[in-house]
Amino acid sequence: MIQIENLVKRYGELVAVDHLNLEIREGEIFGLLGPNGCGKTTTINCLLALLKYDKGSIRIFGKEMAPDSYEIKRNIGVVMQNVAVFKQLTVYENIDYFCGLYVPEKKERKRLVEEAISFVGLEQFAKTKPGKLSGGLLRRLNIACGIAHKPKLIILDEPTVAVDPQSRNKILEGIQELNRQGSTVIYTSHYMEEVEQICTRIAILDHGRILATGTTEELKGMIKTGEIITIDAISLDERQLAEIRELPHVFELTYEEQRLTLRLSSARHNLVRILTYLQEQDLQFGRVFSEMPTLNDVFLEITGTGLRD
Amino acid sequence: MLHLLYYRVLQITRNHQSMFWALAFPLILGTMFRISFGNGMSGEEMELIPAAVVQETEGTVFASYMEEMDGRILELYDFSEEEAEKALETGEIVGIFYGTAKPYLKVAGSGLQESILTMLLDTYQKNAALVEKIVRERPEGLAAAVQSLQDYQEMTETLSMGSEVTDPNIVYYFALIAYACMSGAFLGLQASFDSQANLSPLGARRSVIPTHRLKMILIDLIALLCIHFLNVNLLTAYVHFVLGVAVGSNLGGILLVNLAGSAIGVSLGIAIGSLLRASESVKMGAVIGATLFLSFLAGLMFGNMKDIVEHACPLLNRINPAAVLSDAYYCLGIYDNPARLARCLVILGVMSAGLLALAFFGIRRERYESI
Repeated sequence: MIQIENLVKRYGELVAVDHLNLEIREGEIFGLLGPNGCGKTTTINCLLALLKYDKGSIRIFGKEMAPDSYEIKRNIGVVMQNVAVFKQLTVYENIDYFCGLYVPEKKERKRLVEEAISFVGLEQFAKTKPGKLSGGLLRRLNIACGIAHKPKLIILDEPTVAVDPQSRNKILEGIQELNRQGSTVIYTSHYMEEVEQICTRIAILDHGRILATGTTEELKGMIKTGEIITIDAISLDERQLAEIRELPHVFELTYEEQRLTLRLSSARHNLVRILTYLQEQDLQFGRVFSEMPTLNDVFLEITGTGLRD
Repeated sequence: MLHLLYYRVLQITRNHQSMFWALAFPLILGTMFRISFGNGMSGEEMELIPAAVVQETEGTVFASYMEEMDGRILELYDFSEEEAEKALETGEIVGIFYGTAKPYLKVAGSGLQESILTMLLDTYQKNAALVEKIVRERPEGLAAAVQSLQDYQEMTETLSMGSEVTDPNIVYYFALIAYACMSGAFLGLQASFDSQANLSPLGARRSVIPTHRLKMILIDLIALLCIHFLNVNLLTAYVHFVLGVAVGSNLGGILLVNLAGSAIGVSLGIAIGSLLRASESVKMGAVIGATLFLSFLAGLMFGNMKDIVEHACPLLNRINPAAVLSDAYYCLGIYDNPARLARCLVILGVMSAGLLALAFFGIRRERYESI
């Protein structure tokens, strides 16, 4: 559905997008994950033909995307990072305005607007002006304006920034529902848990480059960490720490303030092996956690740094 | 298209900040003028212009002409030359007519009353020259020519020299309506914010819609022009009917000038919004500054300002849209000068088109270096 080839965008000396290649397939919820300033929004703005770029090509629905590609734009729904609604119009009027840019037929539009209002749960606020909505409700309105015309492709650029948990869940569920209804979704975020929760495929960006692409499982499979074991309230001496470091599959150990954190490569019975050692040494300990790696661990291992906020 | 136009009109008229500057502020200003100037503008009382005539000989045609004007437009004093000079110096009279072989006028200032005196002398001189020419070339047509001149005088008495326009404060109201036209710039500025991806999120959002960019710009322009034309007409009606200041009886002409004024105001705002590389607040400041400064030069705060500019730098009055507008209202309310009115309208039209063309290069840009 979308092919981006060798895209380069510079702001003076700064390379915001660095030879980016990407293919997004029909029916996906494709996540662009990366810290603030990594090039997500710039990529989206290039994709939408808002920004000039230095190199590369962008094709949507098999056609070259240009500012006057109105037929392509007719099938795209855009939810900008910053809320883009008219302060002077009510919730209903705003959605009707934007929907009217795509759907001229009045009856059909009325149905779509009502559906969009119900979809984002703003029925009670249809006659309210944006200024009187909370941040979360405003974001929902922003989404409704972008999706009311039921586009084939929906681009959501950080739609949950500064949103309360209730609205965030509503938004994430809504995106999945739109996907089930047939829309392909591009979702950018720096919240890895959101991306992990809803995206069927993910690209990790940093400094304008794609570091890795794949499903969550595929991405996690790309890194060494298979399991992270944390043990609280434990007293260990240097000998014991050295022995633990030598246990099979342990490749990283940290011990701070009586908390032991172990990173192990993927293997069976890692936790049993550790607990057996502690028992043999007759060591007392508090809580024990065993976690699978997250996308943050993927990012950490690929870049050597955590996700910047 | 109607759908978009409807919501654009709704959005603009509900934008309280822009509408305050474009409509409410001129109405308030007009009301304050009325309170400050009192009832001098009612048009029911005639304010005569004090002047003196210094005649070399009695019983000339010019002396008769002056007598004719005495009590209608002029309050004539029969001074000796020395007394008249003194009275002019002290401000007791506005001007001195010298009834020599070729009559001339001496004035001390450059306001509306002085302009009227100049106009009276011009009228006399033109008519005298015409009569002389007829006597010289076609003496048989003299009677018809004199009749024609009398008819013209009757007409000008009704339209241009009536009592309702002799109050010098009218200049403030013309400048006010001109200012109101210019304040369409606030609406134009807001529209330019909403149209450009690099100026607002809404601009970015509206840049990715499947509607042709030119169509969007055209819809915005139509909406702005309609709204501001109504604003200016509302103010004109308010000044004329509520404040009781006669702004002229040529309704078609007033509507035409109001339309041209609305266009120049809106265009100025769009141009500032599109071409000035600055923040939103700086652009807003630029619009406030430009409209007030241009209106100041046109006489909004100081009635004689336009005349001062006219003497110091006449070109400025030709290119200052507020001054051109003010002049156009003069043509309608005072001079009854269609040729001058047409010139004003052409200047305004050319300026509007020029500003819009310039702005278009800013707005039509479809891809941006940065957002």
